[in-house]
Amino acid sequence: MSETLSKLSTAVIEGDLEVMEDLTSQALDEGKEAQEVLNEGLMPGMDHVGVEFKAGNMFVPEVLRSARAMQASMSILRPLLTESGVELAGKVLLGTVKGDLHDIGKNLVAMMCEGAGFEVKDLGKDVEPDVFVEGVRDFGPDVLGMSALLTTTMRAMEHTIKSIEEAGLRDQVKILIGGAPVTQSFADQIGADGYASNAASAADLAKKLISA
Amino acid sequence: MQVKKTNFTVNATPRFSVLTEDEIEQIYFSALSVLYETGVRVYDQEGVDVAHAGGAIVEDTTEDSSLVKIPPWMVDKALSTLPRKVVVIGPDRKHRMELFKDQVYFGAGSDTPFTIDPKSGERRRATYEDVKNFARLAQALPNIDFHMSLGIVQDRAVGTYDRWQYLAMLEGTTKPINITAVDLDGLNDQLEMAYIRLGGKEEWRKGPIFSLYIEPVSPLSHSEEVIQKLLFSADNEIPFVYTPCPLAGATSPTTLAGTAVQALTESLFGIVLAQIRKPGAPMIIGGLMSNMDMQTTVYCYGSPEMALLSAAYTEITKWLGVPMYETAGCSDSKMFDAQAAMEATINIATAALVGGNMIHDVGYLEQGLTSSPELMVAANEIIDMVKRILRGIPTTDADLALPVMDSVGPGGHFLEHDHTYKRFKHEIWQPQLIDRQNFESWEMSGSKTFKDRVHERVLEILEAEHEPLMEDKMFAEIKRICELADERHKDEELDLDMFGPG
Repeated sequence: MSETLSKLSTAVIEGDLEVMEDLTSQALDEGKEAQEVLNEGLMPGMDHVGVEFKAGNMFVPEVLRSARAMQASMSILRPLLTESGVELAGKVLLGTVKGDLHDIGKNLVAMMCEGAGFEVKDLGKDVEPDVFVEGVRDFGPDVLGMSALLTTTMRAMEHTIKSIEEAGLRDQVKILIGGAPVTQSFADQIGADGYASNAASAADLAKKLISA
Repeated sequence: MQVKKTNFTVNATPRFSVLTEDEIEQIYFSALSVLYETGVRVYDQEGVDVAHAGGAIVEDTTEDSSLVKIPPWMVDKALSTLPRKVVVIGPDRKHRMELFKDQVYFGAGSDTPFTIDPKSGERRRATYEDVKNFARLAQALPNIDFHMSLGIVQDRAVGTYDRWQYLAMLEGTTKPINITAVDLDGLNDQLEMAYIRLGGKEEWRKGPIFSLYIEPVSPLSHSEEVIQKLLFSADNEIPFVYTPCPLAGATSPTTLAGTAVQALTESLFGIVLAQIRKPGAPMIIGGLMSNMDMQTTVYCYGSPEMALLSAAYTEITKWLGVPMYETAGCSDSKMFDAQAAMEATINIATAALVGGNMIHDVGYLEQGLTSSPELMVAANEIIDMVKRILRGIPTTDADLALPVMDSVGPGGHFLEHDHTYKRFKHEIWQPQLIDRQNFESWEMSGSKTFKDRVHERVLEILEAEHEPLMEDKMFAEIKRICELADERHKDEELDLDMFGPG
């Protein structure tokens, strides 16, 4: 593997934000394709981070730092990738449901998904079902992720799914839910496509749902 | 904007205190009264002679003992030469204990007849291999600072098990060791072993690698064996722990203050005798005071009274300026279970928060009759947790983090902030064995209980490859001392039941 790409992997692992843009430009100057930089520079780094995180050797702030490092490189690569018609990992739309102001878990999911290479749009918190519907229509996500922390706001997930069904958009998007009181059986009950118990597994599940 | 501060740093470590200074003085001056008026019984002629030559009143002499009374001035004189700081350094010259006020070190207990087999979980008599395994655990666990023999070696010859225990510990660890000795001969042999391990007596003088455990008998009695060990240690620059083990309600007054007075009296006599014999003799006083359980008559190792008395004694020793031998990490439970974890947590937290020095008995179950590898590994995590509490909450400008809050603002988050990235590892304690996963992840990872995870960690440490800590030649030379001792004692029968009914 090229030395520059291996440096990029290391920089992602170490969350070394400063060097990302320079290394990315350098790799492109050396004649590497954008996709090669992504697949052989950034992704091996992120994969390593994922493994270390699951093994308990890396922690959330470090993973986020790595995700940010990857984003810094992606800001250069994304236009090139789009230009050459390369399929990116996919699009994820996120939000905390109506009536709920808790968003730290949802923010974590956003950052983890970015780290996994997704294009992420975050609708924020206390999001009305109608706003989710518009988001699905306009942004065209592959996956919609909804979060709730309160048992009293869990029901809003069900209402949102209904609204998406009524708008005729349900078959265009996979729906993932999560949050402290949420369970797999609740997800089944309200007709979601998946449930993730933590941010890292949400990103994994999003990948799985898209490739399925 | 912070108000400008003067050049002043606050001690941020939380403090637990059970006695006021007035109360400490009451206990100390009461102990002086007991030492002068009631006196202590000494069962060793040499010890009586040393005390008498130093100014003690000797009376009521019988065939085997005398009553020795110590006037208060002798205690003042002894305290003036007693080192306020005692250092014990492991043979690697890296692991060290510097014992003085508020310096917290944890270590194992000693000489349990039984142990819990690390694999089968069966309770059985301890062997050489067990003692070595415990030393290897001590070596691997970062919060174990010194070690003791968590088992009496009962698969070797008679009356020489103390040397074999020391050898087994030297095989497993390079941390400082607190040894026990069967008798003076055993102590002498172990000192020779230490000289070989270190490369000579001069090396020992630069930093002894073991201290000796000596236990006078409550109430107020000092046996021949105890006095002989004390005098030998003073003569040979061996730091020693002089720790009576009074049992409130049985071998000392049932009131905790009365027990503290008596224990202090017993230790002060040791201080006086050692300082007369050799001014500057290094000592650590303790340290194991508890109550008798009035239903079962056992000596409680997990009672709140034990933790409370140890804490009180620590405060007394800090006031006196004497290094302290504390007790924690132990339990009355028969196995490593919820009771064991609960009792160990209470006494570890109490001992650390009060600032005990040499805190022993980590790994003790069943009133000190059984050693548990699992309790030792679990205690390592409990100590880690308590050490986080000891670090407290500093309140510098960087800690108060106003600019950080300002930059994030209402409704934002701190997860990606540099301040978080740079400080979370120091600020937020990360467990090794405690589980914090949510239910689904926990279930996915095998639904393991704390006990399961502790058990796995024990096996992981014991099954790991180990480099020998000594060269073959040195090991053989040290082992030779054990073998020669066996040769001398070969005709003695060892009745294992003397260590407790199997």
